[in-house]
This record gives sequence, C-alpha cells and structure tokens, in this order.
Amino acid sequence: MQSAGSRVLNMPDWDAKIREQLAPLGLDPSREAEIVEELAQHLDDSYRTLLREGLTPEEARQAALLELERKAPGDLRFPSTGLAALSFPPTSPSQGWALGAGRVVIDLWRDLRFAVRSLKKQPGFTVLAVLTLSLGIGATTVGFGVVENLLFEAYPYKGANRMVLFAFHNLKAPRNERRVGRLSIADFLEYQKNNHVFDGMVGWYSGWIVYTGQGGSEDFRGAYVTPNTFEFLGVPALLGRGITLDDGKPGAPPVFVMNYRLWQERFGGDTAILGKVFILDDQPRTLVGIMPPRFQMYGARIWLPLTLTSSGAMSAGNRITGWLFVLGRLKPKVSMRSAAADLDVIARQLSKVYVEDYPAEFAVVMGQLNDAVLGNFKATLYALMAAVSMLLLIACSNVANLLLARATMRDREMAIRSSIGASPGRLVRQLLVESFVLAGAGLAGGCFLAYWGLKAVVATIPPDPIPESAVIGLNPAVLWLSVGVALVTTLLCGLAPALHALRGDLPGRLAASGRSSADASGKRKLRAGLVVAEVAISLVLLTGAGLMVRTLLSLTRVSLGLDPSTILFAQLSTRNVNYDKVEQQKAFFRQLLERVRAMPAVNSVAVSSSAPLITTDGSSEIQIPGKEHEQKWESHLEFCSEDYFRTVGLKMIRGRALQVSDIDSARQVAVVNQALAKLYFGDDDPVGRRIRFTLLNHEARRITDFEIVGVVSDFKNQGVRNATEPQTFLPYTISTIGTRFVLVNTALDPPEDLRPALRRAIGAVDPGMPMGISGSIGDWLRATSYKAPRFGVVVLGAFAGIGLALAIVGIFSLMAYTVSLQTHEVGIRMALGAERGDILRMVVSNGLRLIVAGVVAGLFLSLILTRFLSSQLWGVSANDSWTYIAVVTISVAAGVAACILPARRATEVDPLIAIRCE
Amino acid sequence: MELHHSNAEWKNGSAELLVLSLVEYQTRHGYDISRLIEIRSAGTLRFHAASLYPLLHRLEERGWIQEHWVERPNERRRRYYRLTAEGKMVMARQRQGWEAFVDAIGRVTGVEHA
Repeated sequence: MQSAGSRVLNMPDWDAKIREQLAPLGLDPSREAEIVEELAQHLDDSYRTLLREGLTPEEARQAALLELERKAPGDLRFPSTGLAALSFPPTSPSQGWALGAGRVVIDLWRDLRFAVRSLKKQPGFTVLAVLTLSLGIGATTVGFGVVENLLFEAYPYKGANRMVLFAFHNLKAPRNERRVGRLSIADFLEYQKNNHVFDGMVGWYSGWIVYTGQGGSEDFRGAYVTPNTFEFLGVPALLGRGITLDDGKPGAPPVFVMNYRLWQERFGGDTAILGKVFILDDQPRTLVGIMPPRFQMYGARIWLPLTLTSSGAMSAGNRITGWLFVLGRLKPKVSMRSAAADLDVIARQLSKVYVEDYPAEFAVVMGQLNDAVLGNFKATLYALMAAVSMLLLIACSNVANLLLARATMRDREMAIRSSIGASPGRLVRQLLVESFVLAGAGLAGGCFLAYWGLKAVVATIPPDPIPESAVIGLNPAVLWLSVGVALVTTLLCGLAPALHALRGDLPGRLAASGRSSADASGKRKLRAGLVVAEVAISLVLLTGAGLMVRTLLSLTRVSLGLDPSTILFAQLSTRNVNYDKVEQQKAFFRQLLERVRAMPAVNSVAVSSSAPLITTDGSSEIQIPGKEHEQKWESHLEFCSEDYFRTVGLKMIRGRALQVSDIDSARQVAVVNQALAKLYFGDDDPVGRRIRFTLLNHEARRITDFEIVGVVSDFKNQGVRNATEPQTFLPYTISTIGTRFVLVNTALDPPEDLRPALRRAIGAVDPGMPMGISGSIGDWLRATSYKAPRFGVVVLGAFAGIGLALAIVGIFSLMAYTVSLQTHEVGIRMALGAERGDILRMVVSNGLRLIVAGVVAGLFLSLILTRFLSSQLWGVSANDSWTYIAVVTISVAAGVAACILPARRATEVDPLIAIRCE
Repeated sequence: MELHHSNAEWKNGSAELLVLSLVEYQTRHGYDISRLIEIRSAGTLRFHAASLYPLLHRLEERGWIQEHWVERPNERRRRYYRLTAEGKMVMARQRQGWEAFVDAIGRVTGVEHA
C-alpha cells in the first residue's frame, strides 16, 4: 500500500525498505513508525532533487535508496587529513578572547571594504541616497540651528530664558494704547523689596548720549542702568570691569562701560582707552570696562550707572529720569502666571499710595524677554521649524524608498549568501556596515551643506527682530539630532533584506525570482505610499513659499505715496542747551538748509521731526471747533519746514503748502493729510477751519487754535503694512518738541553718497552738532519692512525647491523600478500591437495616479497648516486660490516630467527579448 | 582544553558541531540539514540519512536539540529540530576549539582566510 505522501506525487514507496533496515534494531512500533515517516520524507526530498538534476525516475529511486546504506557508525564523508597524531596546546580564556576580538576587527574591515565595493557597483543608487541624506541632514541642521539659537540661546546672560518684562495694561484705554511699561523710582524700589517671585530685578532708561571728542560730537545709543544690572546679567567684562553697586552710591565717581562693537569700530580696539576720561552729555566720565561681543543689553553702545533717590534716578549729579523700564528674572519653577499674581498684589497696595502712577483699572502683564524682542518674527521661526521637519520627512522617506528598492533586488543575494554559510548575524552585520557607510557619507555632505547654508541664511535674516547678542552658528547638538534621525531610517530600511533572509524556505527563495514574490509586491505598495507622502509634503512647502512670494510682491507693490529711493535722512541732536529755544534751532537750520540746497545733485531739503516710513513723531488729541464728537480724535504731528512736501514728494490736494513766512514767524497754520480730512471733515472742505492740539496746550505758550491752510496727499505714515492715519504738518518753529531730521531729495544714486557732504555741511554750521542715524529711506525699507518676508521667501522657497526635487527623485525611482518589472508585460502588449504612445500613456498614467493622490493629500494638509502662517502674510489670504492653482500645476508638471524618462525607456523595449525575459 | 582527537573522534565531534550550528538560529528538518552540509561544503562533506538521523537522535537524547512535528496538507509530517540552551553552550565550546585549531593551522602554514 502506498503511503500518503507517495500517493500524491507518485513517489516510490519507501516504507518497506526502511522497515527492512530498522528491523534488526527491534524498535517499539510507535517509535518505528515515527522513524519510518521521517526517513520516508527524507527520501521523498532526495528523490525530487535527483529528478530535478536530470536522473530518470528509476535512477533517482536507486540513488535515493543509497541514503539508507550504513557505511559505518556516524559516517561522514570527510577528507583524510591524518589528524589523529596532532595535538594542540590548550587555549586560555584570554587567548580565546584576543582571537575573537581580532577576528571581529578583521571581519569589520572586510565588511567595510565589501560595503564600499557594493555601493560603488550601484553608483546611481549611492549618489542619490547620499545626496538625499546630505540635503536632509544639512537643511535640518541649518533650520533647527537658526531656531535653537534665536529662540533658546539668543542671550549670553545668566538665566536669560527666565527673564521677563512686566508692565501694566490700562483696561480703560483703547486697545493699542493700553500698555504702561514703566515704573516710577519709588514703585521700582517697592517691587524690588517686596516681591517673592524674582531672584533679581533691574531697571533702565535708554536714550541718545552726546559724546564730545576732538573730532566733534557724536550720538551714542546709551542706557542708564541700576547698579545691580551687571551682577544680574552675570557676564564678566572683556577688559576692566562692569558697573558695580558702588558706582550707584551717591557721590561715586562718574564711570561708564562700552560695548565691544563701538570699541572696535569707533576706537579701533585700542586697549589704551580703558581708564581714560570721556565727555558724555557734557559730563566727564571714566571708561572702566569693555564688554564682550555678545553683550548687547538694551541695544546700547554704552552703559552708565544710576543712583536711585527719592527725587528720581540720578547720574553724575544730574536727574536723568523719574521712571524706569523693568526687567526681572523669575526664580526657578515660578510660572509667569503666579508671578503676575504676586506682583498684582503689590500693585494694588501701591496704587493706593501712588495714585497718579496707576490707571484707574489695570492688570499686570508679563512677557518673556525674547518674545518682546522677536515679536512677530517668532511665528516665522516656527514656520521655519515646520518646514525643516517636513523636508527631513521627505528626505527620510526618499532614502527609505531607495533602500526598499534595493532590498527587493537583493532578496535572492541574501538567500544565496545564507545558503552558502552566512549566518543571520553575519548578514545583519554586513548590512549595518553598509548603512553606516551611507550615513557617514551623508553626514559629511550634510556638514558641508550646513556650513554654507548657515552663511546664506544669516545673510538673509532681517536684522531688526533679531537680538543683537544672538550668534547663529553650527550647532553640534542639532547636527547629531539630524544625523540620528537619518541614521535610524537608513538602518531600519537597510535591514529589510536581512530580516527577510532570516525566515522562509531556503530552496523556495533560491528558486524564486526576488521580483515576483508576494513580499516584493508589499514593498512596492509601501514605496508607492512613501512617494505619495513625499508629493503631499512637498506641496505643503510649495504652498507656504508661494504665499510668502505673494506677500512680498504685495508689499513691494504697495503705493507708498512717495518715492523712497531719492530721499536721504539724517537725525540731528538738538537735545542740548544750545538748541532748547526755537530761535536757536531756526538760526541753525536756516544756515544748514542754505548750504545743503547749494550742493550739487540736491533737488530740495527740509527739516522734519521724523523720517517718513521709518520713524513716527508724536501724536496729539485734537479738537475741531464746531464738530462735536464723543470718541477721542487724534492726529500725528509733523513739525517741518516749507520744502517738506516737495522734498518728500507729496502733492497738495487743496489750499496751499507751508511757506517761508509761516516758518519764520511761527505762524499758527497747519496742513492736514487726506486721511484726516476724510475722517474728521467728510465731504466738508477743511481749508479755513480751525484745529486745536492738546499736546501744544501744555506748552508754556499755551498754543491754541491753528488755521488749516491746505490738504496734502497721503503716504504710508505708519509703515508699509498699516493704513495711513490722520496727520497734521506744522511749522517746526512752533515748538522745540520732538526730534529733528534733515531730509534731502537728491539725484545721487544711491542717496547715501551724499552723506559725507552733508556731515561736512552740518559741521560747518556747528562743529558740536552730532549727526545721528542716517541713510536712504529706500535702503532702510529694504532692510526692515521687506526683509522679513524676503527671508520667508528665500528660506521656504529653498526648502520647497529641495523638497520638490526629492519628490521628483522618489517618483522617478519608483517609476523606473515599476517599468523594469513590467518589461514582460510591455513586450507582450507591443507584440500584440500596442503603439509607443499606448505604452507611454500606460506608464505615465500609473505615475499620475500617485501624483494626484499626493496632490490631493497635500492640498488638504496645506489648507490646515497654512493658517498658522497667517500672521506672516500680507495682502493675501492663507487660502489664496491663485497660489494653490500655481502650486498644483507645478507639482503635477514636475511629477509627470519624472515619469517621462522611465516611460520612454519602456517604449524602447524589444518585444521579443521582453517576452523571453522573466 | 586539550585537543587530542582521533580521526573518528574529530569526525564525530565535527559532525555534532555541524548539526548544532545549522539549527542555531533556525529550526530545520533532517533533509535540510544534510543538504545544507553538502551545499556549503561544495560537496566535500556528505551526510547520509543512515548516519544523520541516529546522530540527531543522540543529540536529542543529550538534550542539546529539541524536536517537533509540523503537518502540511498533502505531505507527510516533517520533524523539525532546534537548539536548546544547553546545546548552545556545548556548541560554543566546540566552535571555540575548532576555531583555535583552524587558527593554529593557519599560523603554521600561512594560509589566509578565503
């Protein structure tokens, strides 16, 4: 009777022969049955193998039966080596360990060489994988480095992340006027003594300080600080010392400290100036210290100590101020909320004693130092972080895609290596070494890209919102984080073939083609999923970049109301006894304007109290006799000379401009802008009407009504992004209120070329008059209003470009692989009459399915994520349809382009060869 | 560890090592074991069923390997073998001895690892 196994495949019946061999052993029947079954299976396998080798059934049967022949106990065909006579010395444990360690090193070195050879044999894969890793690691390092440096490491001060500014909000004031950010000296001392939440509290007052040297006068940005400031900040001086508590005692010798940049740029880094006496605001002071480069507290170039007294904050015997801005450092583990509550208790008590210092209804508000400085730019940094994370995801999925493709191709290789003796541990080790080689090359490329990328980003970062003390450089911690992520991806996907080699039927895998297994199909689906994800994420990046481009274009196309490219501005310091009277200022500016008008390439020149588009002057509450209103009416005030409108490029809409006689006689006349006329006069003609300014009513002269003599065209007086507000232009000779600027409309390009001549003209009229900040309004705009969106465009654009390139690579590699699998199918189709166009369409449509899936997913993600970018946008909404249309078009076009080459290769298949191929 | 072995002893000891190492990481059946020995040794070593299965039985009795049956449709049952913890220790000792032997030969004859 045939056994079950032999019946199925017409196998010979071995049972009888096996029982015959076992009979002499006298085995237990059940035991014998087991052995018969096992040996019969062995012979079945042997028989099949012999048939495959080409033997006839009878020959195979005879050969299989030889397995049952017992030559000798434990027979093992072994070549004779004459080993019996040999004896060997015992191996000690340490010798055994050393032998083992040495072998590991040799094996690792061999694996390394093999890995390099193996990768060299596939240059396309290797270059793509290394490039992708480099881009991912480099971009991530740059992005996270910038964010980490600016958000967490911007300041070198002790406990900088716990430093907070605190202020009050006047709850009854309009929203944009609520903040009261300063304390009286008495209040400051009370808070300092009674709070429970700060481990230190300092105050300061900033302003321009006139330095009088041999070459003339200059303005330095200075900060008067409470004497505990330098100890609070915890940064030692580079040379000399910082300000100490002794410097704040009454009668202490007047001293000051200088910042590094001023010391280098103005004094050439000369160490001999330490200990010298400088004349600052007409006071002799000794320079006692130079601070290190990153010490930029309060944006000051020099710091001077304050002595706090009951009559105010004094310095060198002069009363400087009656109030201070305040900075505190929270004790560890104290939250801002609990700190605000603690300070609120003190505030309530003080508001009963110092009634005039507190609004009727107020709340204490606190903000971190970094938030106050970065402002809206923080949102840009978070957007950058998100973009970097997305790019890293794309890079990792691209590497995973490439490695998975390689894993499928190496399935057979792993099976063969396993069959000829490679243990699983050996295979895993070999693949780990290959992954390390790839990751190492990616790291080297990433460092190179990170170094140059960081330089490019730093050059693009807008200077304004960045703390001066921030240093943006290569951050090792971030570099290792990026490497770690890329390495984990590389290792995981590189191990796929080894994991597969550890399981499954050896003869089956040896016989099978690696491309046609079910597992390879699973890998294809995973690769397709990764490509869809890459397309989706790159579309999100493209959308963000597109929106920033639209914002920048909107900003640069805004009508400013004037031409900034022709105007040079220079601030002049009139805050001293020589110019605290109107007549003194008039005399100075008459001479100066005459000199400047006579210069070549000067179209016109004017005096003003602000630089248009850059600074704003004060504002005042106004009353218009005959017009009753409940809400407060306000207007910005500009004190200017007769040529102001011509110099700035404004047009008279009604009435007349200010005239020389108005300025000379300080006549109480005013020109208003269109915004004021429309808002407060509606369709009525404001010319000839009266207007009053509360600010000027506080002056000693009690200046009352002004006559409106003209209406001038608007310009963006609150900055490029904001609406124009009501503004009134008054003769500068009315009052000495406010700063003084000289504005020059020049034909020189750039306008800054006029600066030296202007400085000479100023010095010729008054050698003691310092020229402060100056420059062309156009340049200033580019460096401030446009630089932030330009930064967003450059950075997001770069990431989007890289992300799209990687997604194209992913699509291309998947399509190329799929086409190679479909060679047989393509050959059959072409043999059956399919044209090249049909094949092209087939391949491209396969790719298009993935691209469309990615685009749809990307659109969905973009709609959700771009709303976080809203605060950075201007003139365009986060759901701008033109942007989305453009981005989808670019993504689809790029994706189709990535499919074209593999599609063309598919059409070049020879049907005869393809049909034979498997 | 002294390495005094007769030719037969070397063959027996090495046969055990061969079998134990083949089931170290993966369970295998008898035919797989014999076929792998033949393939990996490029035909130099061959283990017939009449020799292999008694050896497998011996190793199982010593507790160095463990067996279990696997049933598949339309096939006979197959007996699979795997290494036990004790077998692992024995194999490690045998392997160390064998490697020491190969190294010694190599040092004397200057033969490099292929």
